[in-house]
Amino acid sequence: MAVLMLAFAAAAQSVSIQKDGAGYKVAGWNPGSEDPPDGWSSIFALYAGEGDVPPMLGTYSVEDEVLVFRPRYPPTPGVRIRAVFRMPDGPPLEAVFQTAKANAPPSTYVEHVYPSTDVLPDNQLKLYIQFSAPMSRGEAWKRIHLLDETGSPVELPFVEIDQELWSPENRRLTVLFDPGRIKRGLLPHEEVGPPLIEGRQYTLVIDSDWRDARGVPLKEGFRKQFRVAPSDRVPPDVSNWRLIVPEAHTADAVVVRFPEPLDWALLQRVFDISGPAGPVAGSVAVERDETEWRFIPAEPWRPGEYQLLVDTVLEDLAGNHIGRPFDVDLNEFNQGMERVIPKTVSLWFWVGEK
Amino acid sequence: MSINRFSVVVAGLAVVLALSGPFAFSANLDSLNAGRVGIQSAGPMAFGPDAILFVGDSAGAAIIAIDTGDRTPAKSAAKVDVKNIDQKIAALLGTTPDQILVNDAVVNPISKNVYLAVSRGLGPDAVPVILRVNAAGTITELSLDNIKHSVARLEDAPAVDAKDSRGRGLRVQTITDLAYVDGKVFVAGLSNEEFTSSFRSISFPFQGVSKSAGIEIYHGNHGRFETYSPIRTFLPFQLDGEPHILAAYTCTPLVKIPISALKPGKQVKGVTIAELGNRNRPIDMIAYNKGGQEYFLMANSSRGVMKLALKGLEKFQAITSEVDDKEGVPYETIAELQGVLQLDKFDDNNAMLLTDDNGSLNLRTVPLP
Repeated sequence: MAVLMLAFAAAAQSVSIQKDGAGYKVAGWNPGSEDPPDGWSSIFALYAGEGDVPPMLGTYSVEDEVLVFRPRYPPTPGVRIRAVFRMPDGPPLEAVFQTAKANAPPSTYVEHVYPSTDVLPDNQLKLYIQFSAPMSRGEAWKRIHLLDETGSPVELPFVEIDQELWSPENRRLTVLFDPGRIKRGLLPHEEVGPPLIEGRQYTLVIDSDWRDARGVPLKEGFRKQFRVAPSDRVPPDVSNWRLIVPEAHTADAVVVRFPEPLDWALLQRVFDISGPAGPVAGSVAVERDETEWRFIPAEPWRPGEYQLLVDTVLEDLAGNHIGRPFDVDLNEFNQGMERVIPKTVSLWFWVGEK
Repeated sequence: MSINRFSVVVAGLAVVLALSGPFAFSANLDSLNAGRVGIQSAGPMAFGPDAILFVGDSAGAAIIAIDTGDRTPAKSAAKVDVKNIDQKIAALLGTTPDQILVNDAVVNPISKNVYLAVSRGLGPDAVPVILRVNAAGTITELSLDNIKHSVARLEDAPAVDAKDSRGRGLRVQTITDLAYVDGKVFVAGLSNEEFTSSFRSISFPFQGVSKSAGIEIYHGNHGRFETYSPIRTFLPFQLDGEPHILAAYTCTPLVKIPISALKPGKQVKGVTIAELGNRNRPIDMIAYNKGGQEYFLMANSSRGVMKLALKGLEKFQAITSEVDDKEGVPYETIAELQGVLQLDKFDDNNAMLLTDDNGSLNLRTVPLP
């Protein structure tokens, strides 16, 4: 027994806490073969950050007579890690590990804000903010402002949805104007009116403080000025669209032109073309401030009849979609919501030889 | 069932507690299989029967039912009070408080442990984590590595990897709230593209690829206009012996909808019972009984917490005129409850609150007002 005690004391002289790959180990101390009654965290614990905090989650193992802790999640660069080894019958041993905080220069920027046009109806429903790289969640509503002509902020123009409506890669944020202020007959609409007033100029301002997914602010802020036109309460009508049809054996685009800008995101996906050989594969471009949709086929067009299938979910800037205005005036549409709106409408075109 | 009698989300709880032993849990728990939970994000959550936790995964376009196994009833005087919980969560996860988001907080109606849906990181590669806070304030992780669970995919929601040159992979149905009522999980969502309502009813136990046809919710009572009305947050409750939901639209009105009307593929019109007016962002709602009266408590962004009496709601007719009767049902504002980010019913006498107090998050229970 005396010999063992001596051996432990000698070992204790050289006990140290070391970082070892993704783990942290207590070197120079033999943990023995049995787990301590209160678990390994009662002997060896790692604390991230300052203050009275619980130890980091992770797993313990004894490898070659060495106690090793592996964090459940790799510590974020820049976080201070304090490791405490509470040696049985000895003073606690501490070690601090701090990795350098990633210090990347700002490079992310706002690529574009849709709609592209600088004339928006006073019942404009949404904006899409497209970034050059993935962004952080949780601060959108602090970073987006709408200023009126005098440069004063418009109060709460947007629906501040906690979840934030991002695309999967966090590169595109959907911002909804407060529908309560757009919908006619609602209290916010009556009390404070719509967020946009016809005839006035506004500036959308995006702060450069907004952090990208790396935690680095934007390279620069973004401003978009626009003027406000009267309300648009007329649903898009496919009979007003103009089709420019390609010739057979070419890979020219089929082009659809609209009399008003339509929703940029929906235009990417609501059209499908099928022809003599079934569905046509190809790529889509949306041009001319979202008043033009172009489809370039992967293979040259075969002669024959083609169907352009349009999902009626397609919206204009004010959220009117095919066959149904954003807010239905029940005095005009007696059937109201019971009206059946088809899921799709079709336009047909003929691709002929030269 | 008498008029105004409540049985809230946890209607099955009394039965569960009464039937101890393996037979009580079989049907729901048997539908869950052990394994790794392939969760991509942890958003809104709700407890169902037998301490089963439903987690909304917007990024993965799924609802996941998880057996928490947390079925030991709480001691009667349990309370929760954890200060600076954001710091503590960050420390557990080896990061800084500005790198975590607490997306939801719900109370296990049996154990009274609080479950938190957390994102570790803020970017697209954020890691979803479910944490459990007990009465002593100890925070542990609900490991999803090997746990009994089942998944309902949200039909029509595109898979994340279904990207093509047409931008189809950019569409996300963000889950804004969910609740379990009598064998069904109701899910409210909002699209990042089309402005339509996405409200789904999914039968539980989930059956293979769950058919979860959408229900179109309209808002039919603002003046003479009607529109699609996505629901932001909602609460199941009993009204006049019939199960209903109380729902807050994105456009601020509070409406009631009978659950019998919420059928897949149907179009439903909510009856407006109150208008909250501008500057209000409904966050969370609970229902409770106090002194023989039934109440709703609703946290919202600018008015603190609002308390509404249920009395008379069953007779309440829609607000129909455009200006005169905008107030709808009367409510009182609980001014001392400020900065509430999450709200859930803790027990018959207390509510659980997650609050932002000058930039730090605190989790605590408070007596129901």
